[in-house]
Amino acid sequence: MKDGPTDTGLSKSTRLILYWAVALILAGAPLIMPGTYWLRIYTMAGLYVMLALGLNVVAGFAGLLDLAYVAFFGIGGYIFALLSSIHLGIHLPFLLVLPIAALATMGFGFALGSTSMRLKGDYLAIVTLAFSQIFKLLLLNLDRPVNITGGVNGIYNLDPITIMGFRIISPVAYSYLIWFSAIIIILASFRIKKSRYGRGWEAIREDELAAEVMGVNTTWMKLMAFAGGAFIAGATGVLFASFQDSVFPNNFDFPQLVIVYCMVILGGLGNIMGVVLGAVLLSALPEFLREYGAYRMMSYGLILIVLMALRPQGILGEIEFLRRGRRRPDKDETRVLKSSTELYYDGEERITDQSTREYSKSNRVILEIRNLTQNFGGLKAVDYLSLDLFEREILSIIGPNGSGKTTLFNLISGIYTATSGDIIFEGYNLRGLKPHQVVKRGIARTFQNLRLFDNMTVLDNVKVGQFCQTKSGPVSTLLHLPLHKKEEDQVEVWANKVLGLFGARLTGYRFGQKATSLSFANRRRLEIARAMSTNAKVLMLDEPSAGMNPQETVEITNFIKRLRDVYGYTVLVIEHKLNVVRTISDRVIALDYGKKIAEGSYEEVANNKQVIEAYLGRKGH
Amino acid sequence: MDLYLQQLPQQLVNGLTLGGVYALIAVGYTMVYGILFMLNFAHGEVYMIGGFAGWWALHLLSRNNIPLVNAAIVISLMLIIAMGVSGLLGVAIERFAYRPLRKAPRMNLLLSALGVSIFLQNLVLTYQGAEIRFFHVSSLIPESIRTFHIGNVVVSFMRILVIFTTFMLMALLTVMVKKTKMGKAMRATAQDTEAAAFMGIDVDRIIVIVFLIGSALGGAAGTLVGLLFTQVDYYVGFQAGLKGFTAAVLGGIGNIFGAMMGGIILGLVESLATTFFPASYKDVVAFVILILVLVFRPWGLMGEKIPEKV
Repeated sequence: MKDGPTDTGLSKSTRLILYWAVALILAGAPLIMPGTYWLRIYTMAGLYVMLALGLNVVAGFAGLLDLAYVAFFGIGGYIFALLSSIHLGIHLPFLLVLPIAALATMGFGFALGSTSMRLKGDYLAIVTLAFSQIFKLLLLNLDRPVNITGGVNGIYNLDPITIMGFRIISPVAYSYLIWFSAIIIILASFRIKKSRYGRGWEAIREDELAAEVMGVNTTWMKLMAFAGGAFIAGATGVLFASFQDSVFPNNFDFPQLVIVYCMVILGGLGNIMGVVLGAVLLSALPEFLREYGAYRMMSYGLILIVLMALRPQGILGEIEFLRRGRRRPDKDETRVLKSSTELYYDGEERITDQSTREYSKSNRVILEIRNLTQNFGGLKAVDYLSLDLFEREILSIIGPNGSGKTTLFNLISGIYTATSGDIIFEGYNLRGLKPHQVVKRGIARTFQNLRLFDNMTVLDNVKVGQFCQTKSGPVSTLLHLPLHKKEEDQVEVWANKVLGLFGARLTGYRFGQKATSLSFANRRRLEIARAMSTNAKVLMLDEPSAGMNPQETVEITNFIKRLRDVYGYTVLVIEHKLNVVRTISDRVIALDYGKKIAEGSYEEVANNKQVIEAYLGRKGH
Repeated sequence: MDLYLQQLPQQLVNGLTLGGVYALIAVGYTMVYGILFMLNFAHGEVYMIGGFAGWWALHLLSRNNIPLVNAAIVISLMLIIAMGVSGLLGVAIERFAYRPLRKAPRMNLLLSALGVSIFLQNLVLTYQGAEIRFFHVSSLIPESIRTFHIGNVVVSFMRILVIFTTFMLMALLTVMVKKTKMGKAMRATAQDTEAAAFMGIDVDRIIVIVFLIGSALGGAAGTLVGLLFTQVDYYVGFQAGLKGFTAAVLGGIGNIFGAMMGGIILGLVESLATTFFPASYKDVVAFVILILVLVFRPWGLMGEKIPEKV
């Protein structure tokens, strides 16, 4: 799993050849450009590659519609212009201004992000759009009473830059500098995408609530995306300002934003090579169509509309020509076709065997719920409820629809904050914690109506569960420091192990399949696997057998028993199928109108008069 | 402070006019959002093209900047043509850019809307040029009634016309939404599209009508602003769109009555702000308000917070 072919599907030698080819092209390109005009376009393409990749972090990886992105680009440019020109008489060296500008821009991104993180989709777009308008208005108007931004005229005559004694002045030198930076951003993009950050962002993009509940600190991660994108935009702004030798408000206006968005969309949101290609194409193509100049911006608009309607995944989306030897489900190792029944029953024996019972219910209370109440307007969904969950117990919760079962799960997992009452887990009160904090402490859940990360692979779905148990930061991830490598290896091994518990259902060729392509029963299994992979001690399963056929139900029933008997989990389960409840439960609690109406063994609860009434209604009506 | 108090009545009149226009734009945003839960980025452009349609109508009906027929007919025709062009444009946008994406993720819809906005803006730029088109309205109104003086407040005839027209249009819309069968169907669709469809409401048709009405009102706003400030260019839609959206958010997006109130509040605040800040910062005030409301009260000044259902 180190540098193996799983990363890109290419062997090491092929990759080496590829690297050399790219290096040669980049070294030679500036020298063979026909004239300075094309050299300029070539250099601008490098800048656009950087800009587009920065936007790709925010909009592509994390799925945030950030319309202030070009303002960040401008902030970087203006900081360089202010700190390195005669305008204010400050002349800091380039290698100092670059990090200052990038970090300051990141600070702006962080600030804007933290005010608007609570907002979703369109609202976030509008806040960022308003911010970018304010930025532009300030650029235009801050030339009076004190001339800071230079107003419409901008700032020009910037200091020439020097890097390690080399003065970068000639267009060729700039093209090398800018493309060298672009390559760094490309590599960084690949590394971050393949890390816990990449997976965390993808999970947020797929289903924000599920990501939070699986332990991803969604607020923090979105801020990181915002800040990361702003960092790249800021750094690119510095390079751009120096290259243009000036900054004007018009450089950072709305049309510019649309161009960068078009590049990212054309390449496919989140698809790094696609975005690079999109940036290069849209930098060069309009030059070929120069006689239609007036139609250029119009065509950008059309590109957006048409792509969204016909190919929202971009030109390179889902074209996996770089992947070789992908194993197909209907063929085995020797590429011999398998029959479909063979596929269906694959590995079933390993699941159904009743192996040795190692664990059983203990007398230690692991989760204690005291007087928990949840008010929705006037409705008490959970009403002064108390219950104890013992370590390694399988406790079933039953009750008619609307009796508060799922609300109870939502309260424990932190999706709702209870109106009053306490949730004490291993002596620690969970009430008021966010979902990702609850998961980290050791309680994970599944959803009644399946909330998998549909477009992520089976393996990645499970790896997301490890997010809260890993801690390598962006620097460690970008530089592939030992902490990152160690954690990635551990996550890989652990994900394989967890999926292995389900037999061949979720392993082998299924690792690389998207969650959406699984059968319904396998999707349910994958949700349980994902919850298990968080290292939780307590699993809360919300109707694990819903929608399963009788055979699958038997199988999942046995599996839930094994979760405790063999692997030692504590299981809290909501279930409607009474056969399942009878087979697995140590204890059963029945809820009605948010209150506990019965508690005890299955037989006791099943024969309780109040329970029967709750389900069937009172006799004689 | 004295100066401020002196200016207050004047600024109130100005704010009310501006607010009425914002309200008209905001209603278009809010109606679409109420049903499709999408932010129609292109609405500002619909407004701008409405302005151009009105200008074009005026242009056709005058010779040497003198109207050929009665001024009342000219103004009515301008409004009707602007509303017609904008309304149809809105329907076309829905048909070609939004309907294919009805089931796609929201972000795609938003990006498509962004694309429409850029496309329309540059379409106008290409065929109309970047120069400002002037509404030669001076000859429309006889000198004697062009302005009225009430104390030290100056009210132009156009302002009265704009206020009157916006309030008429909003009253009509309110009656339509509250009293007619179509309005009932619209409200039902906004509450729950699927349930409405099960009850026999043709949801596609409702959506078309919503775009038609919302866009027509936006077009009317474009022409009214043209009559008031006597100019239009290809770029006015962007700012106006943002203002209209701000108004819609102020009133709680999805809420038609709220959008009307939001527009008037925004107009008043902007006008009053110009007494404190340089005029070039007027828009900054509006956008800061937008950000503050979205961050602290995203459900609007009047709306109610609705918890997310899991």
